[in-house]
Amino acid sequence: MTSPTAPQRLAPPSLSTLARTTAIALLVAAALLVTTVLPAEYAIDPLGTGRWLGLTEIASPTLVPVGTATATTTVLAPVQNGPLGVYPGEFTVDVFEIALAPYEYVEYKYQLEKGATMLYAWTANAGLVHDFHGERVAGAADGPAEESFDTQNRRQANGSLTAPFKGIHGWYWENPSGETVTVRLTSAGYYTSAIEIRSDRTRRTRPLRPLATLPAWPERPGGAGAQ
Amino acid sequence: MKRTFRVMGIVVALIISGLSLAAHDKYRIIGTVAKVTEKLVDVTQTKDGKTITMDMTDKTVVTRDKKKVGRADLKTGLSVVVDALGDSLDELDVVEIRIVPPSTKK
Repeated sequence: MTSPTAPQRLAPPSLSTLARTTAIALLVAAALLVTTVLPAEYAIDPLGTGRWLGLTEIASPTLVPVGTATATTTVLAPVQNGPLGVYPGEFTVDVFEIALAPYEYVEYKYQLEKGATMLYAWTANAGLVHDFHGERVAGAADGPAEESFDTQNRRQANGSLTAPFKGIHGWYWENPSGETVTVRLTSAGYYTSAIEIRSDRTRRTRPLRPLATLPAWPERPGGAGAQ
Repeated sequence: MKRTFRVMGIVVALIISGLSLAAHDKYRIIGTVAKVTEKLVDVTQTKDGKTITMDMTDKTVVTRDKKKVGRADLKTGLSVVVDALGDSLDELDVVEIRIVPPSTKK
């Protein structure tokens, strides 16, 4: 008969070992945070590793321009000539209308180059929680990821925006009430795509209306846009 | 040395799990409370009748009219707007539950 071997007990690590290993672990975690988590989750990429690894794309997917009057490769950045802003393509027009169920929200934004301009007017049949803001493109280092331009709760607004940076610019509208609220936005500008993000997390790009599809007004006898 | 690496591994794992919690996506669930316990809340969505089960953590806040109220105020049948964080509808941690007036039918 053999006596069972007593289990070997490991002495707990000393305080100095714990402190050293914790410090090393914190350094490793901080490195992972800066090189991987921040670029992928928030498009914050101070070391450029996110761009190198393609992680910033996760945080801010590139918008694919759809159905615009201009060639999809055209960059609608203005060249300033005194009071004139001269663009390499036509502007686009858009009308967006949405019924927000109680407590739902939507974000609706346009892709604009730095300095590009748009005009807008929107109205709702009740007051909305509102944030007119812009989001920089992934990895941009010239400022915060998002900037708000107007956060006052509103029922309507008319204005123009000259994009302070390249990125998507537009509205967050939230229905704070128990009744459905309809919002209608009309805009025109040198944007190349529009994206709609709903509170149920669905995202979709929306087709924009080329200028050529607009009829002359008032229509002349003989059809829309007849000369 | 082996022990040093083992302890280091555990600490890294703990920190990374903490970071991954901070990296979740935002969800909004709108509906009525179907069931509530100390740690869980079931909300039946208004839009599709689907019931979502969510975890309530120590950081979960319950409000009514923009004022903080206790969890005991959360009762079955109440209309709520829930903002939660997670990777999918199956694993959400509640950040805030707003008790709101019931929706008016269209």
